[in-house]
Amino acid sequence: MNEAFFDKKDYKPLDRVDGRLKVTGAAKYSAEYALPNMAYAVLIGSRIAKGTIKSIDSKAAERAPDVLAVISYVNAIKVPGYQPKGKHPSEPSTQGQPLRVFFDNKIVSNDQPIVAVVATSFEKARHAATLVKIQYNKEQHMTDLEANAAKAVLPASGKKNPKSPTADYDRGEKNAFESAPVKFEAEYVLPTEVHNPMELQSITAHWEADDKLTVYDKVQGTKMTQKNFAKEWNLPEENVKCIATFVGGAFGNGLHNWPHETAAIIAAKQVKRPVKLVLTREQMFTMVGYRPRTWQKIQVGATKDGKLVAINHHSVGQTSSYEEFTESTLQQTRMMYASPNVSTRYRILPLNLATPIWMRGPGEATGAFALESAMDEVAHEIGMDPIDFRLANYTESDPDKNMPWSTKYMRECYEEGKKRIGWENRKLKPGSLRDGEWLVGYGMGTGTFGANRNAATVHAELDSDGNLVMHCAITDIGPGTGTAMVQIASNTTGLPTEKITFHLGNSTFPNAGLQGGSSTVNSVGPAVLAACNALKEQLITMAAGKGNAAFTSAKPDDLMFDKTEIQLGGKSAKLTLGDLLKQNNIDKIETTNESKPDENRNKYSMNAFSMHFAMVHVHPFTGQVRVKKIVCCADAGTIVSPKTAASQMIGGATGGIGMALTEDAMMDHRFGRYITKDLADYHVPVHADVPEIDVYFVNKPDLLADPVGSKGLGEIAIIGVAPAIANAVFNATGKRIRELPITPDKLI
Amino acid sequence: MDKSKSKYEPEREGSESRRDFLKKSSILTAIAVAPVAVAKAAEHNLGEKISAAFETTPVNVTVNGVKKQLNVEPRSTLLDTLREQLDLTGTKKGCDYGQCGACTVHVNGQRVLSCLSLAVMHEGQEVTTIEGLAKGEELHPMQQAFIKHDGFQCGYCTPGQIMSAVACINEGHASNEADIREFMSGNICRCGAYPNIVKAIQEVKNGGQKS
Amino acid sequence: MIQFQYERVTTAKAAISGLANNSNARFIAGGTNLVDLMKRNVTAPTKLVDINMVPLKDIQQQNGKTSIGALALNSAVADNKLIIEKHPLLSQALNAGASAQIRNMATVGGNMMQRTRCPYFYDTALPCNKREPGSGCGALQGLNRMHAIFGTSDKCIAVHPSDMCIALVALDASVVVAGPKGERRIPFEEFHRLPGNQPEKDNTLQNNEMIISVEIPDNAFNKNAHYMKVRDRASYAFALVSVAAALHMDGKVIKEARLAMGGVAHKPWRLKEAEQALAGKPATEETFRQAAKIAMQGAKAFKYNAFKLKLGPNVIVEALKNAAGLV
Repeated sequence: MNEAFFDKKDYKPLDRVDGRLKVTGAAKYSAEYALPNMAYAVLIGSRIAKGTIKSIDSKAAERAPDVLAVISYVNAIKVPGYQPKGKHPSEPSTQGQPLRVFFDNKIVSNDQPIVAVVATSFEKARHAATLVKIQYNKEQHMTDLEANAAKAVLPASGKKNPKSPTADYDRGEKNAFESAPVKFEAEYVLPTEVHNPMELQSITAHWEADDKLTVYDKVQGTKMTQKNFAKEWNLPEENVKCIATFVGGAFGNGLHNWPHETAAIIAAKQVKRPVKLVLTREQMFTMVGYRPRTWQKIQVGATKDGKLVAINHHSVGQTSSYEEFTESTLQQTRMMYASPNVSTRYRILPLNLATPIWMRGPGEATGAFALESAMDEVAHEIGMDPIDFRLANYTESDPDKNMPWSTKYMRECYEEGKKRIGWENRKLKPGSLRDGEWLVGYGMGTGTFGANRNAATVHAELDSDGNLVMHCAITDIGPGTGTAMVQIASNTTGLPTEKITFHLGNSTFPNAGLQGGSSTVNSVGPAVLAACNALKEQLITMAAGKGNAAFTSAKPDDLMFDKTEIQLGGKSAKLTLGDLLKQNNIDKIETTNESKPDENRNKYSMNAFSMHFAMVHVHPFTGQVRVKKIVCCADAGTIVSPKTAASQMIGGATGGIGMALTEDAMMDHRFGRYITKDLADYHVPVHADVPEIDVYFVNKPDLLADPVGSKGLGEIAIIGVAPAIANAVFNATGKRIRELPITPDKLI
Repeated sequence: MDKSKSKYEPEREGSESRRDFLKKSSILTAIAVAPVAVAKAAEHNLGEKISAAFETTPVNVTVNGVKKQLNVEPRSTLLDTLREQLDLTGTKKGCDYGQCGACTVHVNGQRVLSCLSLAVMHEGQEVTTIEGLAKGEELHPMQQAFIKHDGFQCGYCTPGQIMSAVACINEGHASNEADIREFMSGNICRCGAYPNIVKAIQEVKNGGQKS
Repeated sequence: MIQFQYERVTTAKAAISGLANNSNARFIAGGTNLVDLMKRNVTAPTKLVDINMVPLKDIQQQNGKTSIGALALNSAVADNKLIIEKHPLLSQALNAGASAQIRNMATVGGNMMQRTRCPYFYDTALPCNKREPGSGCGALQGLNRMHAIFGTSDKCIAVHPSDMCIALVALDASVVVAGPKGERRIPFEEFHRLPGNQPEKDNTLQNNEMIISVEIPDNAFNKNAHYMKVRDRASYAFALVSVAAALHMDGKVIKEARLAMGGVAHKPWRLKEAEQALAGKPATEETFRQAAKIAMQGAKAFKYNAFKLKLGPNVIVEALKNAAGLV
């Protein structure tokens, strides 16, 4: 680790290293690899939510021009990895049996993919798909969460292991709430939300040989995808290649390999041509996961002067009938505030829906809506400023794990955020402020997410001209991974950023985990650091070996480049990279280095923290809410790449605006079908919804968490935003909306 | 560095690139341009397989300054034609229903949605896509401003945002922040780069690069 | 999307004869609604007659009225100086609809012809009498938050989605249409229809007729006009409720008023009784509140759209306040 890295706070924020490719349209996403002889597949989804397929009449479709195949369970080739019983051989990122596409005639959710039509053009495939006639045996389905909440169950992980995050949790006295001087209880509902990245989920599947598969796939893990499909097709891992150089957003929906991917691979095998499959926007709602609708009940007991006595938090979320999806909805309730008594109960309800998948700030964002709204409600009830109330219950160590924090700088966030939003203008009494006709309100919410770290490996090569090229299998779904890694390498070596390249998104590159759970910079960053230091060590050894005395006792931290000149301790050592390599008869040096979590993880509770402040206008007669300003404060450790990091916070806040005000995948339970399932009906925020967003980073490294000192940003960027807005709406109007989104109808 | 020396290969698109393949097939289609028969089969719901290549219609379009004679099925959208036939994949498919703006291109200088537009309807018109915006290596000021202000994350909506932003200024709808937000609202960015996009547009509106 | 016959025409006459003998032929202009519906298999015309080359884009002022060609683009109308000056209500309404790109494609005639956005209409797996007569109305007992409160039938409770049409109906526009037997004029209010027993019919245009232009009679509403649209996000969404309000003021007294609502009925919903109630009254919030009350008479809500009974009058009042310059 090089201290200089963290001291260089004045370094010029780097423009996105792939910016030029993105602004010129040259960046290639998974449906943009034009392979010779390519065919196009279109998926047909079931029109019932539960039952069996009675018959499939595909004659007309097969006769349609240039149709190559109509594939269903009736005629699909055997997938070697499909087992008649027991576990799917792929490694599901959720527990249970992932849907085996074209396996049998069972329907377990509406719009489940049941037929693929493959033709020589997209237009022909789409048309032929309308000619397939499918009949069903319908069975009674169950899709309604609240109506069936009583049937919710403790997840298997919680049953098996009482220490599991999903297990029932009790700290202190179970009944403490009952005797608290101030008792508050409320229910909150978060609707189903859908990731809806702008790029439609796509895959181009290419069998380069009978036993050699390449997929250009929209995923958050190239290695995960390689492993899963190797198992599914009974192939050695090296025979499966996953390319995801550019991923057009994902927000979690690429953390699982989905049935449509296998469908395209089957189709490619069956028609013996590369097959491109792009989901429709409707299919993005039903085939690639979603944030599960979640009902929560929270009880908060406090003293009249604002000390928490007890928090009881109960949540029920959706899952599918075949996979057990869980998320950390209740985690922060256990550790965010210094409540001596805390009980949490996490339940899931299997429904005739497809499996959910983690969506940005997964359970934490859901849980934070209830917890942070409730904190605001209690503060209001006891007549306290909600920030003072939170500060009165600030935790100096993790009360759940009973460990010290590795770092926690939330006090800085409170101070800075208050200043920037203009908290002093806030009135304790709701409905007190106006700007013309509009009511004005201020609110805030906090968030936290584990500073996750996985093992990661980076290969690095340095040539005599000072070009540093690195490779790693990690993906970049948008945060600017390449940019951050180039910055780390530059700060570590002194090499100019334009001489550094970071290749990613390819399973043939060295190992990395998923791009999820805010773990990328914390995991891959240290591997970049390690690789850079290893290169330096090689140079030191070489230099010392060639009689450069100054190098004999040098450490990697001592060595920095000034262009191609090698410097020790800032002093020129009269050594150029080219000369040194030449003396050693090589034209480049290379290294492969792994970095992984260390034992500090057993001694400290490591978390990133955020705090969001919102100022809103609410029209008293039309119920329209306009967010006028958001301030995001983050204690995320080292901020490696200030420009892209700020964009990530702005993006999270924008997602939070959607969560708070607009997003709602509504389902008509009579049919078990979504009725808001495209971007006209499912409202994600547009330009006009998003104000100036002010970002503040504490920017203090957490070197216990990882050698880069980063704690992760992606999740905390959204966690706490929705309650901040809901709290601001309450402050403006006196109306407390406990079921999101806060649409005009709920406020008039 | 000579990449060929690296132990990791750059990604490639199979053994024969489709660009070559497209070149060959365009020679074939050039020969095959013939008077177009009416798609009578359509009225028979295509119950029978048509033996000949599917009915296509010739259409003359100038794409990024280059005159093209294309043969398209009338049902092919401009978007699918650009992406699948011309391999101009900079224009993105984000929804295919005119709800996101990712497919925005300029037709005769006006911003339109290529996903809701049939290619055959552009006879004699000039289409500009993101690939045609820069002057050779020199980026359009809007492209530069997007990089400078980090007006994107994943980059998928970006071509549409940029095409729309250029038009937004040309239309005179970028005189203030509120106007920009309103007249750019047809371009959705799920990563949430909106404030940075607005900054980029304002900078270009106010006379280009002032770094 | 099926393969269809495509024909490009350059005259209205050729366009009209292009539809002859094929009840499943359709005009295409901007395509912004039709292509969407074709992709989703909601509609499947076997022939498209491309009318973009027909010279019907002019916007002109003559004989006491403003005439707007059926093929004038929504953006061209919204930005037109004459329209901004004489009919700002129309310009505002146009800019409240869709997005800049769609307005650059969509035509005036196409805007009038657009189909409902009811999700049951759009999903071919769900019942919809408008899409498939006799299949039932999914919205009636379903998620009808976006649906109509006026003029519904037990066959259909969908709403007309246009903003432009709300302004046009308020401004007493008429529609010039041409058919094989020549031209006729349809008062705008009679162009769109209520669902009744035939929800599959959106309007009164005959199968072989073409919209030629829309005419707006000269008026004195240009000084005090306001289009207000309340929706689930700040832009680029269909209306929960919208109101076109225009006042002809005589000092502080309303000489004449025009009022219409969107998002509440199967057609642009003109509020004539409320207009009459406004005439001759002082432009005060109280007056507007009274008019709004009258406007809402006869409204009937369903399970999820009862909020429109409250939002509707509120938006009427707010639109009138804005029109009168009280805000």
